[in-house]
Amino acid sequence: MKDKLGQYYPILALTVVVFISVAVLSGMDSFTRDTIQYQKELKIQRMLNQLFPEMSAYDFDESTEIYTITADDTKIGYAFLGVGVGYGGNIDIVVGLENKTTLRGIAVIAHAETPGLGDKILLPDFTDKFVGLDISEVNLTRDGGKVDAITGATISSRAVVDGVRAAAMEKAKLIPD
Amino acid sequence: MAKFWKQFLSGIVITNPLFVLALGLCPALAVSVTVTNGIGMSLATAFVLLGSAIVVSSIKNFVPNIVRIPIFIVVIASFVTIADLTLKAFIPTLADSLGIFLPLIVVNCIIMGRAEAFGSKHPVHLAIADALGAAVGFAIAMIIISFLREVLGTGQLAFKVVPYFDIHLFTLPVLGTSPMALFILPPGAFLLIGLLLALFRRLGVLKSE
Amino acid sequence: MSDLLPIFIRMITTSNIVLVMYLGLCPFFGVSKKLGPAISMGAAVTLVMTIAAIATWVINYYILIPFDVEFMYIVLFILVISSLVQMVEMTIKRTNATLYNALGIYLPLITTNCAILGLTFLNIREEYTIIQSIVNGIGAGVGFAIALIMMSSIREKLELADLPKSMKGLPIAYISAMILALIFVFTFGGVV
Repeated sequence: MKDKLGQYYPILALTVVVFISVAVLSGMDSFTRDTIQYQKELKIQRMLNQLFPEMSAYDFDESTEIYTITADDTKIGYAFLGVGVGYGGNIDIVVGLENKTTLRGIAVIAHAETPGLGDKILLPDFTDKFVGLDISEVNLTRDGGKVDAITGATISSRAVVDGVRAAAMEKAKLIPD
Repeated sequence: MAKFWKQFLSGIVITNPLFVLALGLCPALAVSVTVTNGIGMSLATAFVLLGSAIVVSSIKNFVPNIVRIPIFIVVIASFVTIADLTLKAFIPTLADSLGIFLPLIVVNCIIMGRAEAFGSKHPVHLAIADALGAAVGFAIAMIIISFLREVLGTGQLAFKVVPYFDIHLFTLPVLGTSPMALFILPPGAFLLIGLLLALFRRLGVLKSE
Repeated sequence: MSDLLPIFIRMITTSNIVLVMYLGLCPFFGVSKKLGPAISMGAAVTLVMTIAAIATWVINYYILIPFDVEFMYIVLFILVISSLVQMVEMTIKRTNATLYNALGIYLPLITTNCAILGLTFLNIREEYTIIQSIVNGIGAGVGFAIALIMMSSIREKLELADLPKSMKGLPIAYISAMILALIFVFTFGGVV
């Protein structure tokens, strides 16, 4: 068969292999796509649950990118993503608001800060400081706010604070009164 | 049959991909922060190694030389995609910790090297032996490195596969409270690999004397 | 516009692609023995990275997503990069003989360089725009080049040092990398 097709054989062989690959991978994709989507939703749910343990459901608004959290049909708060620019890159933060002015809390979900120093922003010791704060108070104590910076990790601390404040100020405007 | 075992064992010791050939170091150093990652990466790499070895070795007679490399690339990339999708669906925590290094398995020099050098020239059962040997060699090296890094770097050993549920194995007394975080960072990784490579060279020198 | 400079600087310093992100280690240790080849390799990598960043971005947003075949990204990206490298090599060979002698031979080595493919994956993961992806690519290439140049300067000197036999070559190179990594991770932090 190789000789019959002559010079076209290599291209044909490559095309066949690519076709088989696409077919097999499409199959894999159909098989896993829903599960992957489910896992992503599960991750978001866990993330929101961290801030709102009593949550029973949430709603996502595509245009404002705000999650509205409900517990048994009563609105209990809002959540959205914020980004801080830290020592090693972006820090992804989930910010929870009780209402338009008060913070519920925060959770750091992704970062590239220095282990042992900057990564302390993950700890409750740091994140608890944000609970109940007014948006205007979201600043390091040395900058006039109410959040104490982590000793030896001022840059990481400030990054989180700035990210939270910026996101909160932006999203609070979009929340209906 | 003896050929099979010989090929297998040589892959682990004499031509250990990480310590002797110094191949596949990118993912090895990046991912080996915890033993869970080390094992996860080894399994994914083993899957791709085996899969590609079997396919490449089976189709070698139908593959013309000119398109040899692109075809191998497609085969390897397909297996990597299968591993990527499977982990993202069923063990997302692992997929997240491995990050971009999971799809990067496709350019792991070990795999292309094996397929090119061995799989395409030998019958299927020997290709499997070779792939298994390289996979096990890689796994052993990964586990040693990530064990050292996790224990020295965090003072503890834990397995985190499912969120909020980790099997905590032990915490060392001194290191537990003030671990040497350096080992989790790039400098520590380089230091460790440098020392380990030197160690294996020394052992190699001793053997040949 | 204001976000481009941080991306560029970070790629060179605190997120240096080789010393901090662990990408591109194979060629890093393979080509860093002498300064000359190191500079050529650095230039070649930066060139290929930038082109690859553009090509893969276009493929992702104009082919993969519209046709709902995003799962094919691994296969397509690596094929694109290999073809790109071939084309770049051939073009340089034909148009500029001197450039080819300096760069050309290193190009095939770049195909399996995890840095290139890794960079393209990063662009997708961070959801960068095409301009951000290009800047990211250039930054990564420059970061790679700087690390490579520093490394080769060190290694040229190490060749003359009196080392135990088992440390020679690769092991001591890794220890030197450790020192470079220490500098990059700890000193540059806070610049961006």
